[in-house]
Amino acid sequence: MDRVLCATRGGKASLRTQDAAIALVKEQGDELAFLFVVDVCFLKRSRRAVRPEVVADEMARMGAFLLEMAQERAAAQGVGAEAFLRRGHLHEELKAAVGEYGADILVLGKPAAHSSAYELHELEGLAAEIGAESAVQVLIL
Amino acid sequence: MPKTALRVVHDEATSSALFVAAGLALVLLCLATVPTGGAAWADSGTALNERPISVTGRLNDTQGEPIAGAEVTLLINSRVVEVPTEEGAFSSAGDEPPGRAESQPDGTYVLEVPSETVGAIGRAAIRASRPHFESMEWEIAGGLVDRLNRGESIYLPNREMERQVTVAFWVATLAFVGMLVMIALEILHSTMAALFGVAVVLGTSLVGGAVYPELYIFDFEQALTYIHFDVIFLIMGMMIVIGVIEETGIFQWLAYQSYRLSRGRAWLLVVILMVITAIASALLDNVTTMLLMTPITIQIAIALGLNPLVLLMPEVLASNVGGITTLIGTPTNILIGSYAGLSFTDFVTNLTPGVVVALVALMGYVLLRYRKQLLVRDDELSQSLLDRLREGGRITQPVKLRKAGIVFGIMLLLFVIGEAIHLSPAVTAIVGAVAVLLWVRADIEEMLNVVDWTTLMFFISLFIVVGAITEVGLVSSIADAIGALVGGNLTLAILVLTWSAAILSGIIDNVPFTAAMLPVVGYLSRTVPGGSSWVLFYALSIGSAMGGNTSLIGSSANLVTAGVAKEAGYEITYLKFLKVGLPAMIITVAIGSLWLLIRF
Repeated sequence: MDRVLCATRGGKASLRTQDAAIALVKEQGDELAFLFVVDVCFLKRSRRAVRPEVVADEMARMGAFLLEMAQERAAAQGVGAEAFLRRGHLHEELKAAVGEYGADILVLGKPAAHSSAYELHELEGLAAEIGAESAVQVLIL
Repeated sequence: MPKTALRVVHDEATSSALFVAAGLALVLLCLATVPTGGAAWADSGTALNERPISVTGRLNDTQGEPIAGAEVTLLINSRVVEVPTEEGAFSSAGDEPPGRAESQPDGTYVLEVPSETVGAIGRAAIRASRPHFESMEWEIAGGLVDRLNRGESIYLPNREMERQVTVAFWVATLAFVGMLVMIALEILHSTMAALFGVAVVLGTSLVGGAVYPELYIFDFEQALTYIHFDVIFLIMGMMIVIGVIEETGIFQWLAYQSYRLSRGRAWLLVVILMVITAIASALLDNVTTMLLMTPITIQIAIALGLNPLVLLMPEVLASNVGGITTLIGTPTNILIGSYAGLSFTDFVTNLTPGVVVALVALMGYVLLRYRKQLLVRDDELSQSLLDRLREGGRITQPVKLRKAGIVFGIMLLLFVIGEAIHLSPAVTAIVGAVAVLLWVRADIEEMLNVVDWTTLMFFISLFIVVGAITEVGLVSSIADAIGALVGGNLTLAILVLTWSAAILSGIIDNVPFTAAMLPVVGYLSRTVPGGSSWVLFYALSIGSAMGGNTSLIGSSANLVTAGVAKEAGYEITYLKFLKVGLPAMIITVAIGSLWLLIRF
């Protein structure tokens, strides 16, 4: 029985990924956990107004809300799921979460159709990097 | 010291009592300060008879701005005045040799020469030179020369110096444009881009200028004079006060109460959120407001089964508009207020009515724009999620909020009455910050962490780069061009400034743009009839802030909202923002400029 870790956010694209992960777990009888990473790197793009840790706290509340939604979504489809919330740089936290959860499969959401090709390329690069560093299988759904 | 004393004697020569008193003071001063074997001017018996002749005048640029730091020389009979060089032969304050002076910040210069060293004056002339200006020399009129021969001092008519485009002009211009481009394209962090600009202008000026004088822009001391420390202290004080308020949960509580008040009516929720965001942005700042309201707004939107962008876009548009109403609402208003001396009350009384109308129009626009999305609902939330939402919307530190609220209320009062008691907003902000720290007993280390030193560094660096383009004449050139375009037409000037500021603020960072435009607007305010009401500064305020609604990069509030939304899985792309923001900008700027035309 594999352990599936699904990195998630909100929005339609994420719901699609959640559904795909839930379906995968249901099909194989695996364990499922959702992961939300609070990454406030975007604050570097503009002049700071609020302390990053205060913003991170607010985003953590939002993340917990989104994770509970994901859990409810899984439960509605008959799948129990754990939830993890981590703070830090997305790439690093994904790698750390894979190790800590002991994930066999990591599910990442495919960028939305309107996102740039670069974003998909970047995600594929990240998937390859995580795959190379750990034995985890990375799926972009 | 002796020169100062002599001037006092000279200026008060008509009053015999003062004359005697000052003379005695002079003698005492000279006896106390001048070394033995001292100067001719210091010898008490000769001072009054051998007082210097002085030539006073004033230098302006072609826009009437005083020119400081010009080297001015008096030529007598076509020669530079020379006096005996033995030690102490001529003692003069300010270390200026006789017949030479540097123009002061108000453009004035005073050339003094000992009358006995001059002899008969056939012709006299003034030579003035300064980096970035054409050197000039002009004859002193015959009648004035006669007065000099009689030992009288004279005051010359003001003279204008023409700008000169040097290599330094292009270096400073490129540094400024490069800074704007690097910020707009996110090649460098804004502070890093501004620091880069400082390094270029100071490096070129001080290192390059030593080798090739055409590269000289200004020296380090001159560069520092361009920094508006009142702006720095005002921003720093507000950061500390907001830093205490931001962790109390007030923004989240307001957002949640909006949700409760709207009772599921999405259109009403949009209206309430826009009003709250606009007010919060006016009193605190729009970036803080949006950073703290966006996460809970997303949860509220999900709770109502709405796409969060339907609530976030109206909020951020309102935050950019709402900030205009006060001095502290936007960084651009802080800059404008500091430069033009506009008070908190000036902004409130002259801009609030127009902004309120613009906000109402903006509400109408977004409700129309999102009318379909506001009707579409997904499934409702579970009780557990609603509980979580309620938990997120509570005030977490009520005692701290009450204390900070009282201090902030007093600060607002001081901002309003400060003008009457000569209390600058910067002082109010710093006093308020200290009061909050002492009362709330916040950890000082933590509070120093609240201050965003990179932002303060950005402003300091920005002031220096803008100082460089002012020094080399780029700002004057822009002012001349706009002045020529608008002629003496105030209406045209208002429209040109408002709309150009709005359009450019959608493309480049509005803070450096506004900083660079301040001297330009100052010039137009002096030269365009009716401009003395400072209406053009209000035009700049409206244009630069409302223009931020044009595009995603138009304001920091837009960027942080998009950042949080993206982390939540709801992406606000450049194009998506433009589609909603551009019409919003056109509507609000049209109303804003119309208001200015009516008000002034």
